[in-house]
Amino acid sequence: MSATPSSQDAGAVPAGAWVRFLRSYGPTPNDLTLFDEYVVGAIGRAKVQPITLDSPQLEEMRLRVESGAHGSLLIAGTAGDGKTYHCRSLWGALGGDPCEWLISAPVKTLALADGRIAVFVKDLSAVSDERKSDEVLELLERSVLGEENKQFLVVAANHGQILERLRNLGLRQGRVHPLRKPLQDAFLLASKAPERLAIFDLSRTARRHSLDEVLSAVAGHAEWENCAKCSLRSPERLCPIYENRERLLGATDRGRFVRRLGDLVEVARLNGWHLPVRDLLALTANMILGHKDAREGLLSCADVAKIQEAGKTENGSIYDNVFGVNLPRKRANDHQVFRALATFGIGEETSNGADGLLVYGADDGNLLDAFNRLVKADSAYGATPSYLAAQLRYLEGEEIARIDGGAADFLARLETQRRRLFFTLPDDERDYPFWDMTAFRFAGDYLNMSAALAERKPVDETVRARMVRGLNRVMTGLLIENNDRVFVASSGGFTQSRISVLCDTEAPARRVGGVGMSVKIDALTERPALGVSLAQGEGGSTTFNLSPVRFEFLCRVAEGALPGSFSNECLEDMLAFKAKLLRKAELLRIERLSHDDEEPSEDNGALTLNFIEIEQNGHGFSRPITVRTGS
Amino acid sequence: MRPKIDGVDYAVDEHIWGHRLHDAQLPHLTVLEFLGVLGSNADNPLKAAPNEQVSYRPQRQMKLRGLLFNNPYVESIREKSLPDEDKWREWKTRFALDATEIDDADMEYLRRAFLSFDDFAKAIELLRSSAFEARSNKRWSSKFVFPFGPDALYEDLRVVGGKASNDRLFFGRTGELLYLMLCRAERGSELGEKLIGRLFNVSAPMNRLARTLQGKPQFSEAKDVGYLPQASNPRFDRLCDDWLAILSRDMPIYDALEHLIASAGLNMLLYFLERAKTQVGDAEPVELVCEIVSRERTKVRALSGDSYQANQSLSLRAVRAAVEQIRLCDEWAKAAETDDPDGERLCLMRAWFQWPPVDTDDETDYEKMTGDELVRMLADKAETRHEGHFGKIHAAWSRSIGLSSRRLSRRNRYAPNDRLLKTLVVSIVEDRMQFDEFLHEVRARYGLVIGDAEGAHLVRAKTVDQDALSDNRGNLETRLVGLGLVRRLSDSCSFVENPFVSKGEV
Repeated sequence: MSATPSSQDAGAVPAGAWVRFLRSYGPTPNDLTLFDEYVVGAIGRAKVQPITLDSPQLEEMRLRVESGAHGSLLIAGTAGDGKTYHCRSLWGALGGDPCEWLISAPVKTLALADGRIAVFVKDLSAVSDERKSDEVLELLERSVLGEENKQFLVVAANHGQILERLRNLGLRQGRVHPLRKPLQDAFLLASKAPERLAIFDLSRTARRHSLDEVLSAVAGHAEWENCAKCSLRSPERLCPIYENRERLLGATDRGRFVRRLGDLVEVARLNGWHLPVRDLLALTANMILGHKDAREGLLSCADVAKIQEAGKTENGSIYDNVFGVNLPRKRANDHQVFRALATFGIGEETSNGADGLLVYGADDGNLLDAFNRLVKADSAYGATPSYLAAQLRYLEGEEIARIDGGAADFLARLETQRRRLFFTLPDDERDYPFWDMTAFRFAGDYLNMSAALAERKPVDETVRARMVRGLNRVMTGLLIENNDRVFVASSGGFTQSRISVLCDTEAPARRVGGVGMSVKIDALTERPALGVSLAQGEGGSTTFNLSPVRFEFLCRVAEGALPGSFSNECLEDMLAFKAKLLRKAELLRIERLSHDDEEPSEDNGALTLNFIEIEQNGHGFSRPITVRTGS
Repeated sequence: MRPKIDGVDYAVDEHIWGHRLHDAQLPHLTVLEFLGVLGSNADNPLKAAPNEQVSYRPQRQMKLRGLLFNNPYVESIREKSLPDEDKWREWKTRFALDATEIDDADMEYLRRAFLSFDDFAKAIELLRSSAFEARSNKRWSSKFVFPFGPDALYEDLRVVGGKASNDRLFFGRTGELLYLMLCRAERGSELGEKLIGRLFNVSAPMNRLARTLQGKPQFSEAKDVGYLPQASNPRFDRLCDDWLAILSRDMPIYDALEHLIASAGLNMLLYFLERAKTQVGDAEPVELVCEIVSRERTKVRALSGDSYQANQSLSLRAVRAAVEQIRLCDEWAKAAETDDPDGERLCLMRAWFQWPPVDTDDETDYEKMTGDELVRMLADKAETRHEGHFGKIHAAWSRSIGLSSRRLSRRNRYAPNDRLLKTLVVSIVEDRMQFDEFLHEVRARYGLVIGDAEGAHLVRAKTVDQDALSDNRGNLETRLVGLGLVRRLSDSCSFVENPFVSKGEV
């Protein structure tokens, strides 16, 4: 069923109503629309089909309730994850009356067919009355830890909120609330939730798959068909809205753009960012509609003609819009998704090769072929006539380019092109690897490693060797090249000392017979983790969870460069890991001594100190110094 | 009856804080002195009753410290291309020139211990690299090797003309008081056993190295520890519990030591401030408003500067109050009813403050002064003396543990550094804790005010606006994220995590 567009849009801009509706999802200053309560009304007004997203969790929730399993349901998540949406949909699925839902009472009850009563709290923060809130939490406790089987709770809440309420309640009751720690651990993925509590943590599901879903729901929406009749779109006239939507659909690049964006979202997620669905919708709307010169940075159909006449279509480049370049910085920063994507530094980061191509490509015979293929071929957002003109001005050094800030125009265009390159460089473009356009040059290796590990395949040897080398350099503070073993080194005193020349113990870089380093996927965090085991058995191993940032840090250290921006945090993490390994070694030594009671001590009268020394080629080895300690 | 304090002209500060806290004895030196007392009482660690006289016999380790800090030629000789034999010979000659000749004349045993001179030099270099203040310009006899174990401990000394003596320049009994505090804490004896078990391990490799360099330990004469007024104090318990918490973490003992030192410094600083507050009759808890330094200048800076100033002036007021208090006691009033009120009061002054002196060559005739004049005179004297040392404790220790700073400002203020923040996390957080709760704990345990919830009374009093304090709180969160100590779950929820929580020990 297609919507009836309002009459004024019907002529020149047949998709006007739809675009206006989509625009309200974008990062406007008042992006109220996205609150579930508001959406229903907005759809009615715009007379368009809603954007529907699959909700696999909803089905699980319904099954859980219908299975008759005892206990309660907690729908947790960050603002914008769709907590209220899920709550409302579950209410409907279980036979609740939609009209009753609209009544503003924060707590509602629903009698189920099996005789149980479901108590719905659509937003815990809306329960401001302390007595009421206590009642809710008491029901939660009774149904999860107690015997309450007649009633159960369906409660939606922010992580922090419910923990805070439990803490306050506990304080007032003079006890540590028994649900607080289990909940906290479950949120932090430190352990499983109590059996009688089903936690649906919506913030956990923000990943590549949910991005894909949002993209296809928006870009593949039926309302776009109206664009076919639009006079602002023809072979001669490029409509940036339609162009961006086409690029999202991926017909011309075989889905490369969406794949790269998915990589970014995935890496951001593994770095600990949560991207709520509301943000993904805002991102998608912005990618399609973003344009610096439009009101609030977002186009509506009525703006398109003006933009086309001014020859500013290229300022609506989807590659800029991904990062919110069209928005005032503060507004972009209000959204997690733009903050998360900004951490990649795409636009500022570059390689000499890529910049050479962008600056000299048009004039350098050696680069011309690549320039035509990678830059000029994109007539909409690549080497447009105005880009080529700016480039010429910059290179020819016209007077205006020499004064302070005179090159700003071209430099801004350069950033735009770098962003475009990240999304458009072919995967196998050897001279211009696309990850080089980001602050995470090794993110590709990271994702490949994760994928290999998930399929139980071995890690690429080069990657593995690089990690070990990085690890050894952090451990010892020495520029050593070893990648066959891991030195656990100390300075004698504090672990924090920069340089540690004393090799406490060493482990092979590959796990053999229960000893050495291994790389595995950590089931809870879904990240690869380095495990260094100094002895056989459970207790001998210490693991280090590898987020993309930490991986990047290790790789950069291995390549000999310390990145300033994120090094402190990672270095602290690494030093903590090192301290734990040294502690392991200490405990093992003590254990060994206690076992040696009966035979003469292994080092009777002699002490061996293993100093790490470096050969000419950078290979580190431990050189023992023996000290006769007497008896 | 107040106990008599030896070696002082009068006892005022001593009865407030003990004999004595010493400004130049920074927390690491305090802990080193403490370890000396502990080592000497290893068979009964931290178990002395409050009324029991604790004594100890510190080590001197003239050979070890001489080799490390009065032995500048090792490296240059190692670098020479000489046969091993010649290196030893040359070093021996050079070393003998500087030797104190207090049991360090015969160093022949070193040749038996090391296979080559180069090995020997390397070992020396290793021990020096981890020493405290190895590169400072302190006298060599006030430099300390890292406390690897029992053989690496020794006392601060003055060495002149072949004679060593205690001038208490850096070991001023603060470590002795630390020992007493921990004895008087509820879980003191538990801590004592743990410390002995972890730190006094004779077979630890680095201790064995120290022992090889030193040979048999050299001892000083036995001495009694100083005087600590209170038999118990919640602060002693706090300190002890913090130490136990730190020792339970999954980290090597040598790393834990850094946190033990900072924790001792912080708690003893608070003891100093709290006792002063009690003395001036202020029942409010000690409060330290901390600025979390960030790129942008904040309004909390001025406030934390004021807070610093207020606390800085506390101890001086306490000293005057401690002297003037005598006028409020019953005996002072009763003296008025006797024939010789001033004489009675002079006796009372002597009983309280060991002053005025009985036999003296100074010209003042104390007998002719009125009680009030004596009080005024002592208060002035005590203030002057206080400013010399005791009065500098707050500034010296708070800077030393990284609590105060003058970074980006001309004034001192509380602006905790990363190291101290880390110590706070390591001592407070069992495995993880909500950030708000952490701020609450930091306030409850140490009086550190950082966020808007903890500083709500300041907001009400309009000394600062809520936004400034909540930005301050945000800055701390960001700092802790940078230190790998905070994990954000969502915008509204973050957790402080202790990376050194032990899970499944060997």
